[in-house]
This record gives sequence, C-alpha cells and structure tokens, in this order.
Amino acid sequence: MKKTLLTLALLAAPAAAMADTLDDLKAQGFARIAIANEPPFTAVAADGTVSGAAPDVAREIFKRLGVPEVVASISEYGAMIPGLQARRHDAITAGLFMKPERCQAVAYSEPVLCDAEAFLVPKGNPKGFTSYADIAADATATIGAPGGGTEEKLALEAGVPRDRVIVVPDGQSGLKMVQDGRIDVYSLPVLSISDLMAKSGDANLEMVAPVIGAPVYCDGAAFRKEDAALRDAFDVELAKMKESGEFAAIIEPYGFSAAAAMSTSRAQLCGE
Amino acid sequence: MQWDWAFVAEITPTLLSGLKLTLLITLLSAMVAAALGLAFAIARRSPNRLVARPTGAFVEFIRGTPLLVQLYFIFYVLPDAGILLPPLVAGVIGMGLHYATYTAEVYRAGIENVPKGQWEAARATNLTMRQTWVHVVIPQAVPPMIPALANYLIAMFKETPLLSAITVLELMNQAKSVANSSYRYVEPMTLVGVFFLAMSLVSVVMLRWLERRYGRLGK
Repeated sequence: MKKTLLTLALLAAPAAAMADTLDDLKAQGFARIAIANEPPFTAVAADGTVSGAAPDVAREIFKRLGVPEVVASISEYGAMIPGLQARRHDAITAGLFMKPERCQAVAYSEPVLCDAEAFLVPKGNPKGFTSYADIAADATATIGAPGGGTEEKLALEAGVPRDRVIVVPDGQSGLKMVQDGRIDVYSLPVLSISDLMAKSGDANLEMVAPVIGAPVYCDGAAFRKEDAALRDAFDVELAKMKESGEFAAIIEPYGFSAAAAMSTSRAQLCGE
Repeated sequence: MQWDWAFVAEITPTLLSGLKLTLLITLLSAMVAAALGLAFAIARRSPNRLVARPTGAFVEFIRGTPLLVQLYFIFYVLPDAGILLPPLVAGVIGMGLHYATYTAEVYRAGIENVPKGQWEAARATNLTMRQTWVHVVIPQAVPPMIPALANYLIAMFKETPLLSAITVLELMNQAKSVANSSYRYVEPMTLVGVFFLAMSLVSVVMLRWLERRYGRLGK
C-alpha cells in the first residue's frame, strides 16, 4: 500500500521543472509509472515483477520513445493524480478511467484499456442488485470500492450515502469482505472481478456484469498537464501500435478488447 | 501550491466527523487498555505459574508484533474462525489490546514501587488478597502512574490513522477520501495535522495538570 519508492523518487527529482520531460527520461534511462496492483490492469507478481496490460503497453511505448525501463510504484487510485502533480510519477498507467473531471487535472493519452463495471456478490445475488441505484435504494446495503476509484464515485453519484460506501484497500480485502458478509457488494471493472473470482476459486461468489446504467470506461496513460509534449509523443507511438496490431497482441491476452479502445477517443471520453 | 479557503470551509465538516470518530476510538481504546492492562499486570504477578507464565508470554507476543498486523488479523483472519467484528469494534479491541500490554508494564512498575512493608502490613492485619489489592496496593500504585498512562493515551490518539486499513472512516481516512475526489492534498492533510496538533496540545495541558496533581505524591 505504501505508495512510492522514495529513494528513486528523490534520485529522479527533476532539477528544472520546465525542461523537456522526455529528454530527462531518456537521460535517466527510466520512467516512473504509478500502478495499482489490480489484475489484469496492473499486476505485481510475488517476486516483484510488474505486469498487467497497462504497464506492458507503457513499457513498450516508452521503449520506442527511447526510455528503456519503467519503474513502477503501487499507489492508491486517489493518490495517483496528486502524486503525478507532485512529480512522484511521470505517468499513470493503472486503468485510471477517463472522466471529465480527471481530464481537467491531467493530460490523458488516447484510450488504452476499456472495461465495463461489475459487482461481486454472494452466490445467487441474494439482494438482486443490478445497478448502483439498487444499492442506494436498499437502506441496509453496503458496497465496497477502491478509495478514489471510479466505482466509489459511481456509487456516491447514484445516491449511496458515504457511510454505506466502504473504502476497501485492495482486491483481496474486498473479496474477503464479501465472503465474510461485511459488505453486500464489491465493485470493480468486469475483468478485475473475474480475475479475483478465478483466483479465489470460491464457488459461493457470483459476478453481476455489466452493471446496469454504468458506462463502459476507458483508461489512458495520464501525464502532467505541462507534459503535453510527452503525451503527444506517447500518442504517436500508441497510434502506430494500434495500426500494426501490436497493441492488440499485448492487451488481448489479458482479456481486453483492442477494438473497444480503437472505437472511441479521448475527446469523446473526456467530453471535450 | 496554493491555499484555497473556500475548499477548507467545504471539507471541514467532513473532517470534523472523522475527528469525532477518532476521539471516540481513542477514548474507548483507552478504557480497554486501562482495564485490561491492570488485569494483565495482576495476572502476571500471580503466584500461580499457570496464570503468570501464559499471561507473560501473551503480553510479550502482543508487544512484539506490529499493531497493523494485529488489526489485519482481527479484521480479516478472525472471520474465518467465525468471529465477525464490525470495523469499529475490531479497531477498539486491536488498539485496546495492543496498548494494554504497554500499560501493563506501567502498572507493573507502579505496583512494584509499593514498599514491601505495605504488603506485609496488609497480611499482618489479616486483609484478604482482594482487600490488599483494592484498599492498599492500587490506591498507592496508581497515582504515580497517571502521567505515564496519559502519555500512552496521546500515543494511541496519534495511531488511530492505522485503522483506515480496516475501513474505519476516521480523520485520516476522511481526509484521504476528500483528497481522492478533489485531487488536492494540501488542505486536507494540513487540516488533519492541525486537528491532531490541537488535540495533542490540549492533552499535554491536561497531562501537565495530572503530573502536578499526582506525579509527586509521596515524595
């Protein structure tokens, strides 16, 4: 849960804020990215290797831009944008979905990973939840969601009061809380919930997907507003990879649809 | 970095509700720690080894492991054994138990400070064990400990943010959730610091008073 490799962050603290970030990254040989350890978007293996669709795409694009390595640090979703602004990361590649208010705060690349929302519920979905509004309507229902994540906001926007939206630190805790009956629903994107269910192997759980009324979201790599040049360079390589099919080759084994990401655009998702 | 007073005004009520919970948890945990610590201290002094040894081992075990690990255990592992505690209760038990092992040592020091002659006098006047504890030892042992105990109260207060790991929406967690939706850390975290400092300063004043009132007893 600790968010930064502090020493690395200190070593890499750029001297001049206005300098060209891409040149700095090339010179230092690595880019710092924020991830969340939520497979299949982002994953950290027991031995510390970082994988997941978002870091894999970022690693490849940075390589093409002349930055050979990415150094990932795990962060809470809510801490990612402040961390980016505080120059602790150079980019967020974590499945942080594009929403207009996030687009205000950071410079997103074109869409990378798209997914709908899902609920993890006990077998048979005893309370019959199919949308965030259903949870708001049931005065005793509680929903778990990652702090600062899209699901937390969707639940709050649907009218679920703050005290019934439980901030869950990570996927494993959320799964455990559903198993223990502490929360009625745990909400994450479809692929994350199916990954959790597959890993747990618990036959007493069920997935409700897609959640009715919740849009399909796409993430993008997020950069600081002043690093728009870096973002543009990233976009050029991303477009080339989408064109050549290499993009699909990276993300489809994780279960993501390349066609979904290519059928939409940043302008559309940010409501620009 | 700019400071936005309108944003401060907007988030203060949320943070105050977190502060209320923080204070509640501190008070409840302090009560648990005070009572349980005394029980530990007395059990550890028991002439019956079957009581004294396991208590000693348990206290050392709790003292030697991090509070965060214990909280995770109480909240996420105990349900497997069929014990499902609400977050607040789990937090109070975790903090209370952890600090009880510290206060137990304070009590032990205080109790050992009661001159041996007092125990002998109690025995000579035919007091029962219970009477000896209640009327002779504890009244003499507790006052000098109060400043030390109050110190742990402040330490406990400052450790409540750990409870965010078990989904308790205390002050720190509220501030994080505010920061999560606004992408601003400056105001929420500054306010958390200010609240904690204000509360700690009040506690320090009370502590000084307690020291003056009880600390020099018998000297």
